[in-house]
Amino acid sequence: MSDKRSNPTEKNINRREFLKLTAVGVAVAAGTRAVTSTKASSEAPKGRHQWAMVIDQSKCTGCNYCTLACQAHNDVNPEIQWNKVIEDGTVGDMHVFVPRPCMHCEKAPCVEVCPVKASYYREDGIVMMDYDRCIGCRYCQVACPYDARSFNWTAFTEKNPAVPQWGTPAVERRPRGVPEKCSFCYQTIDRGLALGLTPGVDPNATPACVNACPTGARLFGDLNDPESLVSKALHENPSYRLRENLGTGPRVYYLPAVPEKKEA
Amino acid sequence: MAKKSRFKFKFVITPWLAWLGLLGIILLGGLVGGILIFWKGLGITNLTDLVPWGLWITIDLSSIALAAGAFSLCAGVYLFGLKRYQPIARTATFVGLIGYTMAMLSLLLDIGRPDRFWHAVVYWNTHSLMWEVTMCVVLYLTVLVFETMPILANLEWLRKRFPKITSKMEHMHHYAPVLAIIGLGLSSLHQSSLGALYGVIKARPFWFKPEMSVLFMLSAIVGGISLTLFASMLTSRLTNKAKINDALIERVAQFVGYLLIGYFYFRAWDVLSMTYTYDPGRSEGLDLITKGPLAFNFWFVEMLLGMIVPMIILLYKPTRMNRFWRMTALFLVAVGVVAFRWDTNITGLLVVMPYIADQAIAYTSYRPSLIEALTGAAIIAYGLAAFSLGVKYLRVVDHSLVQEEHAKVKVEAVEPVTV
Repeated sequence: MSDKRSNPTEKNINRREFLKLTAVGVAVAAGTRAVTSTKASSEAPKGRHQWAMVIDQSKCTGCNYCTLACQAHNDVNPEIQWNKVIEDGTVGDMHVFVPRPCMHCEKAPCVEVCPVKASYYREDGIVMMDYDRCIGCRYCQVACPYDARSFNWTAFTEKNPAVPQWGTPAVERRPRGVPEKCSFCYQTIDRGLALGLTPGVDPNATPACVNACPTGARLFGDLNDPESLVSKALHENPSYRLRENLGTGPRVYYLPAVPEKKEA
Repeated sequence: MAKKSRFKFKFVITPWLAWLGLLGIILLGGLVGGILIFWKGLGITNLTDLVPWGLWITIDLSSIALAAGAFSLCAGVYLFGLKRYQPIARTATFVGLIGYTMAMLSLLLDIGRPDRFWHAVVYWNTHSLMWEVTMCVVLYLTVLVFETMPILANLEWLRKRFPKITSKMEHMHHYAPVLAIIGLGLSSLHQSSLGALYGVIKARPFWFKPEMSVLFMLSAIVGGISLTLFASMLTSRLTNKAKINDALIERVAQFVGYLLIGYFYFRAWDVLSMTYTYDPGRSEGLDLITKGPLAFNFWFVEMLLGMIVPMIILLYKPTRMNRFWRMTALFLVAVGVVAFRWDTNITGLLVVMPYIADQAIAYTSYRPSLIEALTGAAIIAYGLAAFSLGVKYLRVVDHSLVQEEHAKVKVEAVEPVTV
């Protein structure tokens, strides 16, 4: 008995140490797992298609056709612009414009902050809004770095001035009390795909703003397809994205205005 | 005949009635405003796409912050064994319940779809701090209801009518330590998350910093305790329904003085660190609060009156012992915390960050509309009315009340059951 107290047997020590080591090991493993699997930010899932838009600023003339087509197609209140065309200085003697739709970020702040998952990612990268779930807290608006969301402060009940000249509404109007934003015309993409069309190539599967552009400044397509118009354009030209330093990973790329191309 | 004369109505305007009447008028105005908001929508407010959060969110943040006395004092009393402060914790709990219901009211006005307020509890986005805050607030409000049950049991009418229910409600007091633990956990979570809610917004550099949660938590504890102490002292001056033990309040007030040093330290460094270098958006925000339209708010209300002056009053014994000065100091602390919430929310929104690289940072402005002010005032009036009624009918501020010991639960049958 006495030796048990003064010097514990080897076996005992081993077992104790073994248990200790196991416990520590398990804790460390669980800790690292927990840390690696817990991400504070959310990220869009990578589905078969990854839709993206490329806007060539050399070609954009700031005519606003895209905005009007969007307002008609998505039945948007004339006070709201899902796609806003902003003038941004000059290159040579030509005006430069930045058309700004929703960026459909890969790591979208709006999706991350929404308390009720009313903003969410689709498999194809489109950042969607569930207008029936939204409670109208406007946290997404506060969080969006691109000012891409507009709140329905009032109900839009008037006649849409852009209809029928610029198109026919393809989606329901949003109710009062929720924010709204560009959806890459998901309804057109989905219907087009169901008909076997290729978004970006066939107008019936392509967002309204891309179809409406008279100078072909907008390209749309699948980043997963190396042969798509967007993949090729991004491969062949230098491009940039808005507020890239924030790490949001926008899916709207810009080809900067080049004077030679502008004049051509 | 004698019976008849008892029902004869004799109308005398007492200060109490005048006070209730005043609050009633403000509440009525708010009710009209609220109905208009629900009917016409948020279009009649001065909120815009650039400033989507304004006066109401400040009232919401401030009520939650000033309700923090409940969890901090309950934790002190039931977890850290400072039992003699129990009467103050009792008041704080009631103030807490009022604060959280005020927050709920202002949120209900603020959200675009009040008919869907319950979505936040049903559809979870665990990534969202707003979700976390909502869940914690809902759960903590539940805890507060349980915590205030022994107080609500003081209602004379309820005691006479339903003595069994009131005795059950009083029995809740035995669970106070458990409730205090849950309350501490939930409050620590959402008080800091309310700051983090702003702190995670990378698009707005003025907010995007880790100390937001620390500042919100600290200021809430400081402001929450101060408001409870101030309310207790003020009511004891105004009515004999409120009885305070001034020695207790004086001790806690000194503690607030020390806490203020910590709050001041963090807030000062928060602002100082913004001066290190030019940081687009953050530096513009700093200009707004130090030199711009919010400078008076920041320097005078928040820093001088909200921290430095009360710090001196509460830490310098002669002024602390003086009831008037102590009361003033505690009131100023609470006002300073409200100013901090207002400054933080509005500054982040007034600086409009360009998303096009070479464009200049712009500013926008916001002034609450009449309807926002009326409804906001009504929410505050509701809080004041609830507290006043609590003082009168529930003995919310009564330090002479000695609650039975919560640690020793003794359950005895009142009478043997006979069939």
